[in-house]
Amino acid sequence: MCRSACVGLRAKGNNATADFLGMLHMTTTALPPPPTAPDAPAFLTPALDNWRGAIAAALVLSVIAIAALPAAAAFWTVGALVALVAATFVVNAFRRHYYGGLLVAPAIAMLFVMNIFPLLWSLGLSFFAYQSNRQTMKFVGLHNYIQALTSDIKAPENWANLQTTAVFVVCTVAAQMLVGFLLALLFAKQFPLRRYLLILVLTPMMLSVVAVGVFYTYYYDPTFGLVSQVVNRMCGCQYVLMSNRAGAIGGIVFADAWMWSPFVMLLVLAGLVSVPKYLYEAASIDRVSSWRSFWTITFPYIRGLLMLALLFRTIEAFKLADLVILLTKGGNGTMTISYHVLRIAQEQNKTSEGAALSYLLLFVVIVLTNLYLYVANRRSQEA
Amino acid sequence: MKWQTKLAATASAAALAMTMGVAITPASAADVVLKMAVPDWPPTRIMKKFFDEQYKAPSGNKVILDVDFIPWPDFYTRVNASLTSGEKKYNMSVADSQWLGAFVEGGYFRKVNDYIDADPGLKATMAEIHPAFYDAYSTYPYKSKNIYGFPQFPDVLVTYGRKDILCNDDEQKNFKAKYNTKLPCTGEEMDNIDWTLFQQIGEFFQRKKGDMLAGKPADDDFYGIAYQAGKGYDFASMQINGFIWQAGGDIWDETKAPNSHAEGVVNSPAAVGALDHYLSLLKYMPPVVKTGTMDIFKSDELFREGKVAMNIDWIGLGEASLDPKTSKVSDKLVFGMTPGTRGADGKMIRWNNLGGQPFVLMTWNTDLQNKEGMDFVKWWLSPAIQNEFAAGGGQSAVKSVYTDAKYNSYRPWNRAWAASLDWQKDVWHVPPFFDLLTQQQDQFDLAITGKQDAKTTLNNVAKYQENLLKEQGLIK
Repeated sequence: MCRSACVGLRAKGNNATADFLGMLHMTTTALPPPPTAPDAPAFLTPALDNWRGAIAAALVLSVIAIAALPAAAAFWTVGALVALVAATFVVNAFRRHYYGGLLVAPAIAMLFVMNIFPLLWSLGLSFFAYQSNRQTMKFVGLHNYIQALTSDIKAPENWANLQTTAVFVVCTVAAQMLVGFLLALLFAKQFPLRRYLLILVLTPMMLSVVAVGVFYTYYYDPTFGLVSQVVNRMCGCQYVLMSNRAGAIGGIVFADAWMWSPFVMLLVLAGLVSVPKYLYEAASIDRVSSWRSFWTITFPYIRGLLMLALLFRTIEAFKLADLVILLTKGGNGTMTISYHVLRIAQEQNKTSEGAALSYLLLFVVIVLTNLYLYVANRRSQEA
Repeated sequence: MKWQTKLAATASAAALAMTMGVAITPASAADVVLKMAVPDWPPTRIMKKFFDEQYKAPSGNKVILDVDFIPWPDFYTRVNASLTSGEKKYNMSVADSQWLGAFVEGGYFRKVNDYIDADPGLKATMAEIHPAFYDAYSTYPYKSKNIYGFPQFPDVLVTYGRKDILCNDDEQKNFKAKYNTKLPCTGEEMDNIDWTLFQQIGEFFQRKKGDMLAGKPADDDFYGIAYQAGKGYDFASMQINGFIWQAGGDIWDETKAPNSHAEGVVNSPAAVGALDHYLSLLKYMPPVVKTGTMDIFKSDELFREGKVAMNIDWIGLGEASLDPKTSKVSDKLVFGMTPGTRGADGKMIRWNNLGGQPFVLMTWNTDLQNKEGMDFVKWWLSPAIQNEFAAGGGQSAVKSVYTDAKYNSYRPWNRAWAASLDWQKDVWHVPPFFDLLTQQQDQFDLAITGKQDAKTTLNNVAKYQENLLKEQGLIK
């Protein structure tokens, strides 16, 4: 095993950490003491930095605005109140000399406007009966969620689409992980034209999904497509890949894996090239088998990145809709839950119903992600 | 002079010129921009071209038609997103007739009765529009007195045929020998095709690569017939509705709401028989039909690539067939009416779903934009422009235009146009049309790809429609 080399590395690492901490201590003691922060204003004090009071006032005024004003006026009033609260936070941070917070404030504001606000807005919409092409809105509580889960028309369809999505998640992620991993192993070695081949292999990931979809539409086409032409010649029969569920799912999985395996490869390759060479040299001196060498030296370096790739690709696979739209329009049992939500929310304008279904999907993804993180953490602790 | 000085002088001169330009150019209050959303295809390209070349606003204002050409597959999604987002980007839009309910109820499409009532000339033109298209394109509720739209490009299904194959002597002789009937070859003969003959043509022209086809070995597999059988948008419903109406069945009738029902009508025995009939012909079509993706564009492509003897498709796609740059069969074409069902009296029943699109005005337009928009509509529907449009590849639903003797000479399919008009009906125009359509398309796709039979399909459609329409208060 690599005992001697590893012990040396650990000792070197410990020394470096101690040096760093020592320097940090010296730097900290050299700095002048921070200025004393002014006292926080009392809750009812009308001060520009009284964020607690501002939040309370904004909440009360928002409720009054929503109840009393027309929808558009209420929206902008609430928006102005949120801006006011944000301003009190800024003034407060400035007076307390909390410049770090001020520096990240624009990023947080952007995050709020672009991500958090739309999320909260759509969550709110899911409790209403609202269609984007109508001007009416009615509070219905959990009706949309109950309908999505129990209606004898909608629930079976949602369930079937979720199952199809699960099939895609398993198949596409497995294919991408396997192919990406094998490609990474290949490109971790040096060989002639490696750099050019690497660019070629990375190309699919850089193409637009629409281009890939159109390309594969023709690739699989029974009359003009390459797949059917080749198979027809070999078997003398009429081969139509996308004519049944297995073929249609297989076709989409292949296209998705073709496009995204390079992404997995990139992550894994980053791990592979970061493994110190001397570990392999030590292992070869100790006459460690290739499998053992991979499992005890290589894998620990790439495990984190593999898990990251798995997480990213799983979340993306849950959102699979574009290739399905382009290749099958959801036919032949390929309707995914994301495409279903897209149709409900965007094409049929059933905004609230779509929002409710999206949140159910989000719940599933969060549960699975946490489960994954829990397993990953446990494994890393065991390791 | 140093280069920095030169650069500064040039920049100053440019800035001064721009400032002067802005200052000197009069802010013309009479410039009116009409922003319009249209699908990107020949009928709208021709309209834009005519407008730019010929249109002079009667008001004397400078009217600019700022057209947003949107690819067909994205057209509904883009227009729907624009309207419902509240961006108020467009002043006019081309719209499918089915969209009227959804966007009128949403407060986007403007009612134009006041403008029409105030203009006797336009009123007379509207009276000249064929009733099937007037009802479908202009009225909401369907067949009411409320007017919202005007024909931009009226369209019907026609049969595209391959003269070189259909008129070949060997094929004629063999077909006669096999079915004891003449293989239709001319446009007039194609007008007389019923579904039985259409099926025979489909069966007869199934050829493998190397088989003899019109006196030569076929260079690829060849098929007799094609029609739309796709899952997307309305790419099966438009054909299936025709089968249902011809068989005496019906779709849910919105004009009788709230007393009309979907269950018992949509899944009536006649409708089930019609869907069965539609499905039975698919086996004679190119294999892509098994994937549920043989939409109007795919069947058109197969026809233009020379893989099919006959294709039923919209006239709107016809120009590409005539163009040698996009069609391998551009010099071999013959057109006829779509097949019909022969009634007990021997007469042909030819009901079909109409196609094409109206255009509409938006509710947020200024009075000036509306006035200029209405003047543009009036100009567009004038006989001279309608004739020119038809000659350039469009169609007209204005009676004085399509009944003119010269109309048939404009394009090879025009001969089938006027005779088809009286046989057109339309699908629903109610607000939840897209919900009705997508569920129906999903169910039809299951039947087309062999996953379920016609009865189950229409039972599922009827149940869903009954439930949805009750939820929406459209059925009691």
